[in-house]
Amino acid sequence: MFKNTIFLLLLLVSFVGCNTTNDDPQKALVSINFSHSFNQQAINSNNFNALQYINAFGTTLSSSKIRYLISEISFTNQQGIKTLVKDYQLVDVGEDTGLFIDDILLPEGTYLLSMRFGFTETTNTSNVYPDLNAASWNVPEMLGGGYHYMQMEGRFLDLNNEEFIYAYHTISAVQNPGPENTREDTSIVLNLGEITISQDQTQINVSMDIDQWFENPNLWDLNSLNGMLMGNYTAQKMMQENGQTVFSLDTSMGN
Amino acid sequence: MLRNLPFILFFIFFTLSCDTDEGQNQGYEPTPVNIAVPAIFSQLLPAPEIPANNPLTEEGVALGRDLFFEKKLSADNTLSCAGCHKPNEGFSDQRRYSVGIDGIPGFRNSMPLINIAWNTKNKFNWDGSANSLQEQVLEPVVNEIEMHNTWPNVVATLENDAAYLTKFEQAFGSPTISKELAAKALSQFIRTLVSGNSKFDNYLLNQATLTPLEQQGLAVFLDENRGDCFHCHGSPSNPLWTDNDFHNNGLDENFTDLGLGDITGDPAQFGLFKSPSLRNLAFTAPYMHDGRFQTLDQVIDHYSEGLVFSSTIDPLMKTVAQGGVQLTLQDKAALKAFLLSLSDPSLANNPVYQNPN
Repeated sequence: MFKNTIFLLLLLVSFVGCNTTNDDPQKALVSINFSHSFNQQAINSNNFNALQYINAFGTTLSSSKIRYLISEISFTNQQGIKTLVKDYQLVDVGEDTGLFIDDILLPEGTYLLSMRFGFTETTNTSNVYPDLNAASWNVPEMLGGGYHYMQMEGRFLDLNNEEFIYAYHTISAVQNPGPENTREDTSIVLNLGEITISQDQTQINVSMDIDQWFENPNLWDLNSLNGMLMGNYTAQKMMQENGQTVFSLDTSMGN
Repeated sequence: MLRNLPFILFFIFFTLSCDTDEGQNQGYEPTPVNIAVPAIFSQLLPAPEIPANNPLTEEGVALGRDLFFEKKLSADNTLSCAGCHKPNEGFSDQRRYSVGIDGIPGFRNSMPLINIAWNTKNKFNWDGSANSLQEQVLEPVVNEIEMHNTWPNVVATLENDAAYLTKFEQAFGSPTISKELAAKALSQFIRTLVSGNSKFDNYLLNQATLTPLEQQGLAVFLDENRGDCFHCHGSPSNPLWTDNDFHNNGLDENFTDLGLGDITGDPAQFGLFKSPSLRNLAFTAPYMHDGRFQTLDQVIDHYSEGLVFSSTIDPLMKTVAQGGVQLTLQDKAALKAFLLSLSDPSLANNPVYQNPN
């Protein structure tokens, strides 16, 4: 009995020891973290309600809700082979949900990380994602159907220095809201750049710079554009343009 | 070391084998049962969320049903859960405030208990004070203005009833009665309370036709510039008709009830209350967390002309500066007709939801 135990233990050790000698590249377990900031000041569920952020227009604002949808989360290796690691992810800053995509197993190496803000016209189909339906993430058919891309809401100080509210919602831009509407893809492809995956680099941080939604290239005046933006085609196009510089790969974080 | 190995392995095996509830009948398994999921829910929503440590069983649901209608849960044997969550009133209470065993009214309207199995946010009560259904069902028993009892007293009372000893054993494999097992049984029964058979559900299934007025009302409901109800109260894509989240919907300039903020202590959450489902409005008047509106017309008037600004008003109340969305009389009538199409008359008469005794 004891002899057999020693033999089994030796066998186990030899298997474990042999596991690194084949030619396949070693794999690393990777996670993606979504973080958020306003003018380089970190924002999370504990501090985003404070009326303390100043946008490029000079408006002081706060957030009470930030949730958004990322899709097509992919790594492309140097041979051009793309690995889709997740179809979509709903990030909710206030609820602290969706902030991580864990347990991504990838061979060590260099990759291009890409994702998409929102859905494509093909994937933005009404009613097909039960979890998003339960999250009330839908867009009514009269506004083009499908799903929201982002709901960012909060308070700001208006021109009279009085508190007012804003609801900055992005969707697929729609013309002629109503039964005869036409929809235009305003999702944003995020080519986030090169990342080297190794045993020493297993956490990837994708940063959303919220201030950019109000700044570049369209200076955003919340006094005039603070609500009912879903059916506002021009506003949706402006949001799409501003969204181009919102997301970036934050390489300051290690493993 | 190796000499100790068999002993260590035996110890681990022995420890694992003892990891069961005390007194539980080894080998006994109650009969698993599934929630009756409405067809439209199957199409649009995730499967109901059932905790792994409290799966639904026929015996557990039956026990939960007995307990739900059991007046012995209250200190003077006069009030059951169903006393304030009546099947024929949408599992709510048409009194503005339910009245406890000492004749003292509460200060919030009774929340309807339907489609709880789809509340994946796991925040219960108007103020989110309970973090699980099992936690929620424990509280009314000891609430001084509700059942005004103690759980040790409830357990002792149930232990004196031979029928309950048998039912707990059938449900959980042990005749031991505890407040935890009572809460599990109540939770099982409440999760079976499903409402998904309204006219509008059948319309979505192409089995009913909306009137022109109801169709106009749906358009008002979904129009960002008019009702804009869908952000908080679901839509044809979310037939729960709630987001299960917390909002300040512009009722008061100053708060006498802090709602969610009273639980979290966060001033940014003062005056926030959970969005109730819009199902069964025909049976669940009065409305709002404090039951201040007796009629649906008053509710619609509030969103149309009655909004007031406060420090935590929800950003979705975009027309608060104008007092509301300023609906026309036609829009109001249409919205009301649509909202009533979300009521499910079969709920009140479903035999499996009635008092078993």
